[in-house]
Amino acid sequence: MPRVVIPPPYRGPTDGAAELEVEATKVRGCLEAVERKHPGFLALMLDDDGQLRRFATLFLNGDKLTKDVLAQPVTAGDSLEIISSVAGG
Amino acid sequence: MPGPTGDKMLRVDMTKQTTELVDFPAAWTLLGGRALSARILCDECDPTCDPLGPDNLLVLAPGVLSGSAAPTSGRLSVGGKSPLTGGIKEANTGGQPGQHLMKLGIRAIVVTGQPADKEARFGLEVSADGARLIKADAHKMKRNYQLCLDLHGAYPKTASFISCGPAGEMRLTGASVATTDQDNRYPARHAARGGLGAVMGSKGLKFVMVDPGRAGVRQPADRAGFGKLCKGYTKDYQAGPQMFQFGTSAVVPMANQLNTFVYKNRVEGQSPDVQNLDGARIVESFEERGGAMHNCMTGCIVKCSNVVHDAQGEYKTSALEFETLTLLGSNCAVQSWEDVADMDRLCDELGLDTIETGAALAVYMDAGKMDWGDAFAMKKLLGEIDRGSEVGRAIGNGAVATGKLTGHHRVPHAKGQSIPAWDPRPLKATGVTYCTSPMGADHTAGLVVNPGLKPEQYVWESQKSQIVNAVCDSSGFCQFLQPTLDDIRNFYSAMYGEEVTREEIHDQGWACLNDEWEFNRRAGLTAADDSLSEPLRKDPIAGQVFDVPADVVKQMYTRLPAQDDLFVTKASG
Repeated sequence: MPRVVIPPPYRGPTDGAAELEVEATKVRGCLEAVERKHPGFLALMLDDDGQLRRFATLFLNGDKLTKDVLAQPVTAGDSLEIISSVAGG
Repeated sequence: MPGPTGDKMLRVDMTKQTTELVDFPAAWTLLGGRALSARILCDECDPTCDPLGPDNLLVLAPGVLSGSAAPTSGRLSVGGKSPLTGGIKEANTGGQPGQHLMKLGIRAIVVTGQPADKEARFGLEVSADGARLIKADAHKMKRNYQLCLDLHGAYPKTASFISCGPAGEMRLTGASVATTDQDNRYPARHAARGGLGAVMGSKGLKFVMVDPGRAGVRQPADRAGFGKLCKGYTKDYQAGPQMFQFGTSAVVPMANQLNTFVYKNRVEGQSPDVQNLDGARIVESFEERGGAMHNCMTGCIVKCSNVVHDAQGEYKTSALEFETLTLLGSNCAVQSWEDVADMDRLCDELGLDTIETGAALAVYMDAGKMDWGDAFAMKKLLGEIDRGSEVGRAIGNGAVATGKLTGHHRVPHAKGQSIPAWDPRPLKATGVTYCTSPMGADHTAGLVVNPGLKPEQYVWESQKSQIVNAVCDSSGFCQFLQPTLDDIRNFYSAMYGEEVTREEIHDQGWACLNDEWEFNRRAGLTAADDSLSEPLRKDPIAGQVFDVPADVVKQMYTRLPAQDDLFVTKASG
């Protein structure tokens, strides 16, 4: 199963869980699978039109996803990492 | 230890009007920035002194790695007893002076005393030829941009400047210390928090000029190893997500989702104007108006600073940060980033902390003295501060002073310092930082943005972040580079040719915190000061109040056993 790595700012809905194994074949399916286990998560990731929020960056097996991000295929053993940095300035 | 030799410390006595370069103690080789400032203050400053009197110190200390080829490592710590909190304070800033001081081998400037004539102003010139005080009465009450423009004409192009604006000269407790950045040498970087600009002003010191001349970068003991580290670190950073490529203002929409883009004096956690205040609008303006992302110091690979232009394409300010957009923006119900940019420039001109000033204006509005979101009235009031009106002084003295003036009850603060944007109600571990940090409510002391933590995790997560940030702010690295303790100790090892172990770097962070806590204890701060003000404990946002019990908070003072994650935790502030 693919593994979704969740950064600290998004761990409110996941009750602190940092990683989840999910059953999915595409990136969107991974996020939706997390939502099924932890309602409220998807709203952090997708906007009202169902598109990935601008400030959410995804890496698949260490490579940054840049085009058609949600439609990218995933397979067993893949690591889908959500990257988020926070700062005040 | 091998590595750079011949380092000095510059002692400046404003009472006697003397300067003296003395040898930097060898035992302090790995002390820089915040940790060095804390050690000097513990050794030399009476914690019970009047922070605006002659017995307080002003410490200007670059980090251990500043002036070297390490990326984004030129930060400068400004330290002293805070007139805002009554405790120790270190405020950290970018720009060029940190790099320049270390290229000259000056590990710290320690300013003591006070001139007999309180109306007199002085400048401190520092170069390879030495240091001297000069009269600067002609610059009295100049705003920072005009001051630096005038100084540019009087000194070599290689010079950088540290200055206090009119707010510092007026000894307002929200006053900042400005430093100039690398491109246009604008005074746009600020050691903002805790009123250290007032300490500088109280000493009659209007500016410090640092001219490195032709001095080169500091040479490490292990040149090959250090060079390899620099290249590897830079390559890895540039191959990574570069989350700050559009500045901290890009954090706005996420913070809004996490209920920490606070609105109307923190009575709500989200702003209806989030789209207008999103940093993306600033980036979009670049194409039409000019402006761009840039680096505030030489050798920076983060480039998080947005240079903001006005509608006519003229420079207005830099950098317009998330904290400023929150406190001067949404927290005052201001609807436009352009109005916030105007106020950011005004604060930089006056030498005021945008967090403290925004929080004060929100208290003023909440007290019914000004309409919410009235940016015109806000700018007018800010513009009057250096004319000395009673209200202007209160705003310049911060939120607690403004609450006293208006008799208003809702003043969110810790140890007298306003709460930054990141709110301690949804982010309780950050709240533990605000309670226990020697700095008062300061997100740069230990920011933990994780709403999913269990209560039993709050103290460790806060302690971990406070240690990592204390070491980062001592190293000269910028927190936005997000170095870990392992990163920093590896750079130290190559710089000085002796391995710095995990235990030693952990010790260094803990010792820094202990020096600062000890200063505060001797200053008279007690466990009763380790709390947040009532609005944060009683008024919820998104159904949450700050409810971490005092007996849990005080566990911070027990050093918890290091776990592996301590050494790979990234600095964050």
